[in-house]
Amino acid sequence: MLEINNLHVKLADEDRAILNGLTLNVKRGEVHAIMGPNGSGKSTLSYVLAGREGYEVTDGSVTFKGEDLLELAPDQRAAKGLFLAFQYPIEIPGVATMQFLKVALNSQRKARGEKELTTPEFMKLVKDRAQKLDISQDMLKRPVNVGFSGGEKKRAEILQMAVLEPSLCILDETDSGLDIDALRVVADGVNALRSPDRAMVVITHYQRLLDYIVPDHVHVLSQGRIVKSGGKELALELEAKGYAEFTKEAA
Amino acid sequence: MNIAVNKTLAELAYDGMLLPHPRLEDWKWTNLRVLIDRPYPPRLKVAAAPKEIERLLKRDPLAKLAQARIVFVNGEFAEDYSNLPTDGDVRVRHHLAPITAEAEPVLDMNAAFATGGVEIEIASNIDAPVAIVHVATDGEARTIATRHRVKVADGASATLFETHLGEGAYLANSVVDITVGANAKLDRVKLEIESSSAIHLAHAVITLGANVLLRDFTLTSGARVNRQNGTLAFKGENADGKIAGSYLLSGRQHADTRLVIDHQVPKCTSRELFKCVMDENARGVFQGKAIVRPGAQKTDGKQSSHALLLSETAEFDAKPELEIYADDVACGHGATSGDIDHNHLFYLQSRGIPEAEAKSMLIGAFVGEAFDTISHDGVRDVLTRFAGKWLVNHKEEAR
Repeated sequence: MLEINNLHVKLADEDRAILNGLTLNVKRGEVHAIMGPNGSGKSTLSYVLAGREGYEVTDGSVTFKGEDLLELAPDQRAAKGLFLAFQYPIEIPGVATMQFLKVALNSQRKARGEKELTTPEFMKLVKDRAQKLDISQDMLKRPVNVGFSGGEKKRAEILQMAVLEPSLCILDETDSGLDIDALRVVADGVNALRSPDRAMVVITHYQRLLDYIVPDHVHVLSQGRIVKSGGKELALELEAKGYAEFTKEAA
Repeated sequence: MNIAVNKTLAELAYDGMLLPHPRLEDWKWTNLRVLIDRPYPPRLKVAAAPKEIERLLKRDPLAKLAQARIVFVNGEFAEDYSNLPTDGDVRVRHHLAPITAEAEPVLDMNAAFATGGVEIEIASNIDAPVAIVHVATDGEARTIATRHRVKVADGASATLFETHLGEGAYLANSVVDITVGANAKLDRVKLEIESSSAIHLAHAVITLGANVLLRDFTLTSGARVNRQNGTLAFKGENADGKIAGSYLLSGRQHADTRLVIDHQVPKCTSRELFKCVMDENARGVFQGKAIVRPGAQKTDGKQSSHALLLSETAEFDAKPELEIYADDVACGHGATSGDIDHNHLFYLQSRGIPEAEAKSMLIGAFVGEAFDTISHDGVRDVLTRFAGKWLVNHKEEAR
């Protein structure tokens, strides 16, 4: 589904390389965890995949469902099924959450040549998904993420994911800022979306999240490339030994 | 005061009447001597086919929202196209009332050249909106001037819409003189969507009695040159007046609003809120002046203007002025300008919303606070949709 090959990325306005030959293959139905210390390039990877400006790909390729992902605008990537759950979800005053969700869903459906949802169909869908994530009607009435606590923002990201039903979910440090109860709600929401047709890339600093979202593959990212890959036990090994051991190997 | 210089062609066509020189402080951003680049003779009759008039009237986004519509075509009252109010407590008289305000260039021009106007008196609580629609048909360049007077009686309430639209190159001069009596309420919405080659010069004189609630909103999106003056005088205590507006400007459009809020008595509240969007080479100006007269204690006056600049060549100038002669008042002003927040844009796009639509949502969010001044739900919805389509529409028109 997603093939990243020898990806090199630098910041557009300075000469600092952040990703240095990253290669990763994600197949349908798989959950991959990418772990790494601060500054290893985790967030850059998620932003480059989602299409944020400010980065320059200097080498390598990214193919998503057989198409060159890097050629597509962010909204086209989303319509093709890519979803990034932000580490820091953005507050947008003045844009109503429900309107935002409806325009997003129907824009994607339109781009894919599917029938747009009517307002009642849409309301029913959101109500159903929100209930499962313990998101109140009051939260849905507010502008996008405005006045949400850290935990509410993360839940709102998962709600968007549940409504938009992407085929590839990238979760960027979804555990950061969550207490244990909130973490469980979010992880349950993510696990409910696991399916043989959907792939996930879970980016995290800590092993804790992976107790709840159990990955099929774990990769260690250091200095912009993957230095070690393994099964879910690799996460525990990292937790026990720390990143230093692995990053040494990289150097 | 005027500065002696050679008369422009436009001035000669005005029987030698002088246009305001940019060295006059209030006119420094809007040089009419240059912007009015050719003669616009006054009192010129232009014939208009009924079909053309009907087509233009349909273009008014507020058309379906007011039963009572008073229509002016090329500056003349057009009874055939009007639906006069049926309620006995709304009296409409075709009458050109004299100007009561102090001399000023837009008013002077109106005093000399106005050809039509109505006087509307509202005697009780009237829920149904009353609309005055101004239509200019395509024809020779000319000056079209109208002048209306609106009186809202003590304890009455009213909703007033004003639309200005047209085709071709013309100069529209519009004056309204509004008096709101004690304990009365007025919601006024003005929509300026004149032809893109028109000039729109307006002056609104508003006087408030005690305990009045005024909500005034103007959307400025048409005309190549727009200058709107407003004076709001508080004459009775405990009145609450809010004047808000939005610009949606593109191309080389120029819009300049100059408001004077005059607190003559104690305990009144005034708010000025402008949220302006400029794209391409458009230029917006907001000049707000608040005067607190001696003895107007407990005045609460705030002014803010905010600009969203969608291109590097768009411009916004804000000039706040405070003249305070009382010591127990709370007055303040603020102005900001910036471009679209790229984090907001990326977030919306990352959810599948195409760039133009994402930008439109952010424009809608930006102007929303000013649009909230409109009490009438139907009008607020219609104008919100207008703002939502504006970006895509003006890009298409430019193509």
